This record gives sequence, structure tokens and C-alpha cells, in this order.
Amino acid sequence: MFIEYTWLIPVIPLIFFVIIGLTGNKTPKEGGLIAIIGALASFVLSVLVVYEFLTGPAYNGGVGYVTDAVTWFSIPGGFTLTLGYYVDGLTCVMLMFSSLISLLIFIYSIGYMHDQGKRSRRYFAEVSLFLAGMLGLIISNNYLMTFVFWEIMGLCSYLLIGFWSFRHPEGDAASDNAASAAKKAFIVTRLGDVSFMGGLFVLLYAFQSLDYVNLFDPAAIAAVDTNLIVLATLLLFGGAIGKSAQFPLQDWLPDAMAGPTTVSALIHAATMVKAGVYLVARSYPLFVQSADVMLLVGLIGGITAILAASMALNNMNIKKVLAYSTISQLGYMIMALGAGGYMMAIGMKEGNAALIAAGAAGYTAGVFHMFNHAFFKALLFLGSGSVIHSCGTEDMREMGGLGKKMKWTSITMLIGSMSIAGFPFFSGFWSKDLVLESVMKASEYGPEGYIFMIIWILGVVTAFMTAFYMFRMWYMTFAGPKGHATEHSHGESPSTMTVPLMLLSIFAFGSGFLILFGLDGIITISPDSITGAFIVGMHEGHGAVHYIEELFTNPYTYLTIVLALLGIYIAYLMYSKFSVNPGKFNKEGESRLYKALEKRWWFPQLYDWISWKFGYGIAKGVDYFDRNVIDGTVNGLSGSVVGSGESAKYVQTGNVGNYASIVMIGVAAVFVAALVLIYYMGGM
Amino acid sequence: MIPIEFFLMFSAILFVIGIYGIMAKNNAIVVLMCIELVLNAANINLVAFAAYNGDIMGQVFVVFTVAVAACEVAVGIAILLNAYKMKKTTVIDDLTELRW
Repeated sequence: MFIEYTWLIPVIPLIFFVIIGLTGNKTPKEGGLIAIIGALASFVLSVLVVYEFLTGPAYNGGVGYVTDAVTWFSIPGGFTLTLGYYVDGLTCVMLMFSSLISLLIFIYSIGYMHDQGKRSRRYFAEVSLFLAGMLGLIISNNYLMTFVFWEIMGLCSYLLIGFWSFRHPEGDAASDNAASAAKKAFIVTRLGDVSFMGGLFVLLYAFQSLDYVNLFDPAAIAAVDTNLIVLATLLLFGGAIGKSAQFPLQDWLPDAMAGPTTVSALIHAATMVKAGVYLVARSYPLFVQSADVMLLVGLIGGITAILAASMALNNMNIKKVLAYSTISQLGYMIMALGAGGYMMAIGMKEGNAALIAAGAAGYTAGVFHMFNHAFFKALLFLGSGSVIHSCGTEDMREMGGLGKKMKWTSITMLIGSMSIAGFPFFSGFWSKDLVLESVMKASEYGPEGYIFMIIWILGVVTAFMTAFYMFRMWYMTFAGPKGHATEHSHGESPSTMTVPLMLLSIFAFGSGFLILFGLDGIITISPDSITGAFIVGMHEGHGAVHYIEELFTNPYTYLTIVLALLGIYIAYLMYSKFSVNPGKFNKEGESRLYKALEKRWWFPQLYDWISWKFGYGIAKGVDYFDRNVIDGTVNGLSGSVVGSGESAKYVQTGNVGNYASIVMIGVAAVFVAALVLIYYMGGM
Repeated sequence: MIPIEFFLMFSAILFVIGIYGIMAKNNAIVVLMCIELVLNAANINLVAFAAYNGDIMGQVFVVFTVAVAACEVAVGIAILLNAYKMKKTTVIDDLTELRW
């Protein structure tokens, strides 16, 4: 009944994007109200679709998905590309949190962007398009459509990060101004996009189709050369690395903080960076064909998690700390998907049902962490936006003592921080421990299992770091003596901003409990016992008892809890009680490690170096070819014409007698030639 | 009847004299006159062949050629007169403005 109208979910914000873009200034709040109505309509429709799907026949005993498509275009040779929707458990979860969080962010934006005047029309138009991109990506029924919406999001991120492109506060580097940051985000993610596109070509070659239904068909997968699938999945994962800011393409995300804070919230929580994780989760049937690919996925996730967490440790910018924490948490998600897929791949090869179930748990953990992360990261970003709105600075050294002035912001941010730090029973706790448990379990299988042991250690250290830097941020901002900016702050933000914060804090605390009530049954994946087809969802949830038992009988859970509490306690000692001087550990900011972190492990320099050496080198080569070979050919051709004309022009003496002579000589020559010809032809 | 070779020989001599004059003479008037010689050499050929073949077409053709030649001389002398007004000379070697 509603599910046939799934295609409307991205189309509504798309239409509203056009409306706001054309007539925004004449509508209330410079188009803000229309954007909210669009997001609300999408959210309501999503709820209806999800409800109908989860209670419908397809989900309860059917094939597990509902899909429909119209032909977009055909290519001679048997390729037909379609436009349509594909709804399954993963789609449902993504739809719910993307549209809900976007709605809350849009409401918050009314307060946050109120002083932007006419410029907010542009803002609201672009965020609507951004939402359309994400929702379209989620409901796509084939990879090409996914790619189109993927690119729409890339464009929107460029436009929105560069929203304040006219500000050039410090210099030309990406970390100094919005225009360069936007360019960096666009170009770095573009590397991943090219890889993604390559993956599409491989898939189209291998499967003659890009529709999920055809690609995830076990018979089709079995018929295709495994090496091709490995190549395709590696290329797709390259796309995910770019979009989800994984190592080694993670460096664009901290610079993307140049945009408005609401945009950061949108990029980090509801859209954009979730697309990469979604792509891996969506392509799971292809990814699990090779355990080695999944091992790489897990390893990249682990490296990203610890690398980003380390850089958050000493950053003084409230938004950048959150940016690094996002990268780090994305690493967790990718890590869990890698570990789950690794176990599933081995399990499928050995026919081990228990191992496949363990793999499905890894998938659940990854998607579940994405779900929880969306709420607490949206909360944290909007909270930091509230702080920045009030103080007018992003430097945490100038804050401090804001807790009294901004009661609601400080409380909601505390909930968000506890959630991301993995404080027991907050949402981050459930998913983080499931992630670590899956990685731990993966280390027991296969010849390369020990690598997952390393990844697990990275993950646990990251959990400790996360607790430390999040509470360092919280204490530096809200506790301690009043800073310079605090004195001049406006106090608490308007209710359009605090109400979304409160709503999000409820989710940030409570979304973890959903797994105790059967959410895991929706976001799990398993091969059908008869056909082997991968089905997302369609399981009874394990229920509260299973998870509580599993988590609290596992000694490692207590380890992570202790480490998280320890991190919080150290942050308290250093930044609230001031009984431990943090400068003691880094020689007052002079130690080599501190400098490395400050320079982000030299990744910006690495990017620059690569761009100069390779990009500029290739450009110079092309330039040389253009100037010398192509221009040389053209110039040589014209030069030879000009030169021959130059030398032949002297025939034109202007003397009539000369002309007559030449004509006569010519006539005589023709006459003689004719005679000779006739003679040899045997005529006359 | 006079054999046709005589006519052809005569016209060839006339033609060559005309060509020689066009190429070698330095006075524009003389050159124009030599052009007339060349044309008339051709006319003689036409008339001779017409008589030889008993076909009136050749003679008709000659009437046209004479008319065209008259026009051509009129134009040529007009050009020469103007050139003389400008340059006060009709020596071909001095009339070499139109060149590279």
C-alpha cells in the first residue's frame, strides 16, 4: 500500500530542493520551513514503508525483500539498467535513522543559521538535496543508481563544506579555509569514487547486470569467476574507504569541519560517511566470497580506528575532536563488518553453520554500531554547534566552565559523551562491545586469525582513548574555570536548538536497548539453508537474555568497561581536578609523538607530496606532450604552408612579360606531353 | 586549290611571331598588337578548316572571335590609357606595381 511509493522518499526532498532553490527567499525562514516539511514527509513515509514492510508477507516468510523497477535505459549487448527501489531490513534501519536525524538537524538549523540572512536559502536547498542523495542511495535497487546518489552526496558535501567559502582566516591550506577544505573533501573522496566506478564496470562485465537481485543471486555468484568478484569487491571497498574516510583517505574529514556545524552533523551522523559503511553492508553477499578481502576490510577498520583516535587526543578544536572520533567509530563499523564477513566466508567454505551465525553477529554489530553512532554523533555535533553558537569560537582552551551557562547543552553532551565512550548501558556500550566481541571471535578461526587478535587490541586501545578524549573535550568545555570565550558567551541556545538536542539525547541513551527487543533480527544477514540466497533480517531477535548473558559473562567486556572508566577518570584528573598535569606526558607539547599527532601523522604532507610528485609530474608530462607534440604538429603544418608560400611568392614579379612566358612554357609543356603520350599510345 | 598545309604553316608563323612579340617586346601597345596577331593566327586556322571541310561553323566562329578581340582591345587600351595617366609610361618593365 505504501511500499509502492518508496521511490517518493528521496523524490520529496529533491522537489523541495528545487522549490527552495527557486523561491526560498519568499518562504518562511528562508526556505527552512519547507526543508523541514520535506524531511518530515520523507520521515513519515519512511515510517509507513518500514511498518508495512516489517508486517508484510515478504518479510515474514517471503524472500526478505521487496523490489520494483522501471527500465532506465538499455545498452545493445544485453545490459538493461533500471531505476527502482529495494527494501529489506538494512534499508529499513538506514531509512529510519537517516530521515529522523536529518529532520532534527533541519529543525536545529533554523536556530543555528538564523543570522545567515539570504544565504540560508542556499543552505536549506543544499541540505535538502543532501538528504535526497542519502535516501536515494538507501533505497536504490542497483549499483548504478547507488553511484548516482553517491555522487549527489559528494557534490552536496563539497557545496556545504564550502558554505563559508568567502572566509579566508589563515591561509590557503585545506585546514585554514572552507574553500580549500571543500576542494580537498571533493578530490579525496573522488579517488574512492573512481575506484567504486571501476568496481561497477567489473561487476557489469561479470554479471551482465547491476541489479541487487541479480547480483546477490547465489547461482549467479557461483557462475562467476571468484577472482573477478574479489577484484570487484576490492574496488567497491575503495569507494567505501573514500566516502567513509578510512585509512589512508581519512584526512579530508577533519578539514571538512570548515562547514557549518549542522552540516558536520549531517555528514557524520545521517548521511555521507555512513554511505561507505552501507555500501559494504549492502554488498555483503559479494564480499563474503573471499575471506582475504574481509581480512583487509577488518584491518583497514582497525588501523583507522586507532589512528584517528590518537589524533583526537591532543586536538584543541572541539569540532575536530568530534571529527576524529567519527573516523575512529567508522573504523569500528568497518572492523566489525570485516570480522563478521571473515567468519562467514570461512564458515561458508567449511559448511559450518555456527561460524556463519557468528559472522552474522559481526554484521549485526557493525550495522548496529552505525545506527547508534548516528544518534550520539548527531547529538554531539549539534551540542558542539550550540556551544560554538554561544561562544563564537571552536577553541576549547578559550571555553571551560560553560556548564553553568548552558545547562541543557552540557547535560545532553554529557549523555552523548558517555554513549560514545561506552559507559555501561548507554547505546555505545552495547554496540562497541558487540563489535569487539565479534573481532575477538574472528581471531580464533583461519590461518590469518591472529591478525584479528591485533585488530582487537587496536580496538580495545581505541576504546580507552575514546573515553579519554571525549571526556577531555567535555571537561575542557563545560567544567573547570571560566575561559575567555565563556565570559562573552550568549548563554543557552534557543529552543529550536535545545529541543532536538533533548530528543537526540533520549535516542543516544536508549537506542542501544533496541537490540534487547529484537532489532538484531532485522539487521542480520544469513544465507538461506536451502537456496543459499543471502537474506537480510527475517530472524527472531536473540532477545535481552541472550545479549546480557553474552556480554556480562565475557571477561573482556569488563576489561573495556574498566578501560573506559579509567579513561574518563584520567580525563577528570587532568582537565577538571587539574591534579595531573597533561603537559608532563608530552614534555609540554615538545615531545615527538605530540608533534606527530598535531601534524596528523603527516598525512596532509603525504597527500601534498603525492600530489606534487605524481599529480604535478603527470600534469607536467601532459603539458609537455600538449605543447610539443600536439602544438608542434599543428604549428609545423601551418609553418610548412606559410614557408612554401613565402618561397613561391617570388614568381609574382608583376611583369606581364614574365607571366606570358610562363603561360607559354606551360602550354608548350602540355603540348609536348600530349605528343609524347599520343606517340607511346600508338596513335596517329 | 591551295593545300591546307600552306594555311597551317602561315598561321603557325603568324602565331609564333605574335608569341615572340608578347614575350619579348617592352612596349605595351606592341604587346597588344601581338595579341591580335595570335588571335588572327587562330582565325586563319578556323577559316581554313571551315573551307576545307565545307562547314560554315568555322567561319561563324571567326566572326565571334573578331568581335571578342575588338572588345578585348578596347578594354586593354583603356587600361593602358589609365596606366599611362598614372605612370606617364607604357613600358611594361616599369608597370610592375602588382607583385609580392
